[in-house]
Amino acid sequence: MLSVKELFAGYDKKTVISDMSFEVRSGEILSLIGPNGAGKSTVLKVIAKYLEKQKGFVYIDNTEQESISRAELAKKLSVTLTERIRPELMTCREVVETGRYPYTGAFGRLNEQDKRAVEQAMEETATLELADELFNRVSDGQRQRVILAKAICQQPQILALDEPTSYLDIRHKIAFFETLHRLAKQRGIAVIISMHEIELARIISDKVVCIKNGEVTDSGTPEEIFTPQKIMRLYDIPEELYKKYFE
Amino acid sequence: MTNKKQKNYSLIFILLIVCTLLVFAANIFIGSVSLTPAQTLSAIFSEHAQYSQIIRKIRLPRAAAAMILGGALSLSGYLLQTFFHNPIAGPFVLGVSSGAKLTVSFALIAASALALSINSALLVTAAFVGAMLSLGFVLLISHKTENISMIVVCGIMIGYICSAVTDFLVTFADDSDIADLHDWSQGTFSGMSAEDVLSAAGITFIAVIGTVLISKPMNAFMLGESYAKNLGVNIKLLKAAIVVLSGLFSACVTAFAGPISFVGIAVPHISRRLFGTSKPIVMIPACFLCGSIFCMICDMTARTILSPTELSISTVTSVFGAPIVIMVMLKRRKEGGA
Repeated sequence: MLSVKELFAGYDKKTVISDMSFEVRSGEILSLIGPNGAGKSTVLKVIAKYLEKQKGFVYIDNTEQESISRAELAKKLSVTLTERIRPELMTCREVVETGRYPYTGAFGRLNEQDKRAVEQAMEETATLELADELFNRVSDGQRQRVILAKAICQQPQILALDEPTSYLDIRHKIAFFETLHRLAKQRGIAVIISMHEIELARIISDKVVCIKNGEVTDSGTPEEIFTPQKIMRLYDIPEELYKKYFE
Repeated sequence: MTNKKQKNYSLIFILLIVCTLLVFAANIFIGSVSLTPAQTLSAIFSEHAQYSQIIRKIRLPRAAAAMILGGALSLSGYLLQTFFHNPIAGPFVLGVSSGAKLTVSFALIAASALALSINSALLVTAAFVGAMLSLGFVLLISHKTENISMIVVCGIMIGYICSAVTDFLVTFADDSDIADLHDWSQGTFSGMSAEDVLSAAGITFIAVIGTVLISKPMNAFMLGESYAKNLGVNIKLLKAAIVVLSGLFSACVTAFAGPISFVGIAVPHISRRLFGTSKPIVMIPACFLCGSIFCMICDMTARTILSPTELSISTVTSVFGAPIVIMVMLKRRKEGGA
């Protein structure tokens, strides 16, 4: 579904990520883990076409990303970002409705099918009860679920999520990942997610990619990756501290 | 959008339209010469009626100008607020009106010095160039800082510079030119001919159509640039369209009526509160109608309150508009907005 090959990217002339390769298939959850500033967000930005790559390839559905139009890409890939938004006087439902943008006509009027998609996305993320609340007035955690609902409502084949659970408490984190799991398995969406909660990443991921200093240092199944040795090396955690906090 | 909401919107729109018509009628009836409805109607329909000069040459064009340009000004502000994701933006505080004022003064003085006649198309073009120059500076600054307060302060400074240069130019103009320039540079709907009103209506109509056409991407743009991009919005094109349309609205207003303060900033806010939404497809007609009503009431106040002396329109719009702006800022602080 999504495959990244020998990718180089960065800001201005500086290269932040180099020679990155990985792929994620339909129905799979791939998590990107690694220390802050390793390049996880950068690679997501390139995939979502926010940032131009310097070299390499990003294939979406076997098509090189560059030859997909912006409008087409919007139907194939949706993202959630770490940046906070404050849309004035927009209800949660209206925020979710923007997810139908790629499908509606010139004036953005929603037809029955669009409305159903909105309703369903809100149901799946347990945000229906927030529908008429103003987006700016709900809690951070609720906002993240609304943004996920918006992303789902876009009916993408690929979901790219940048640290989507950072503001959620543990109960909502679990609920969030259950939703993601269901989406991946039932709708066959390919999910690529950057996260810091390695305990949770171990449980929900089908594949894990370790990123450090802009390079893929390791990748594999959760069983292969989540060994004390590899985690200590990836995050530069001394052994005694690892033991203190993880064992 | 639920049905209940849609019904509410329709109701408010009907009220606004009725209000617009009533205020428009009041603008024609009320003035230094008070007329009965019968006298007014006969003056409208017959050239030879007693007061037909007053009605046809003065009050009708003036009321129409306030209605059209009030709507245009408020949409100009709405577009800038959408662009900057901030309700404190507006054509006057960002120096756009003053930029237009500068180039229009320059055009007027140059034309009089060269003994050329100047038509309204030329004036609007000059105003548009000025509006775009000021907005260009503001945009340059907005690349350097995300802080809207900084951007607004710079906009106000640009406004002052443009006004200073305008004063400088006026000092060198002929006395006969200055009389006209002076009134116009304070902002006024008076002295508008029927042709002027028609030109203003034409330009405004085109710009309103353009604004309606970008209402869908503007809605997505409310989620911020990144999300809008992911939804498939062509950000560069959208931003360019917003800037050009906003400049066109301001230019049209400034060319015909001079710089008018606080309408562009305050009216979109009133409209948002009135409808409880900021959906562009609702806000575009809402801002226009509220702007029309606001400007017609202000203009009526300006010419009647100290009659026969007339106040400049900005004097009145400031008195009504500035407190609203202060309220918006305090309220946003309370709600935790930036």
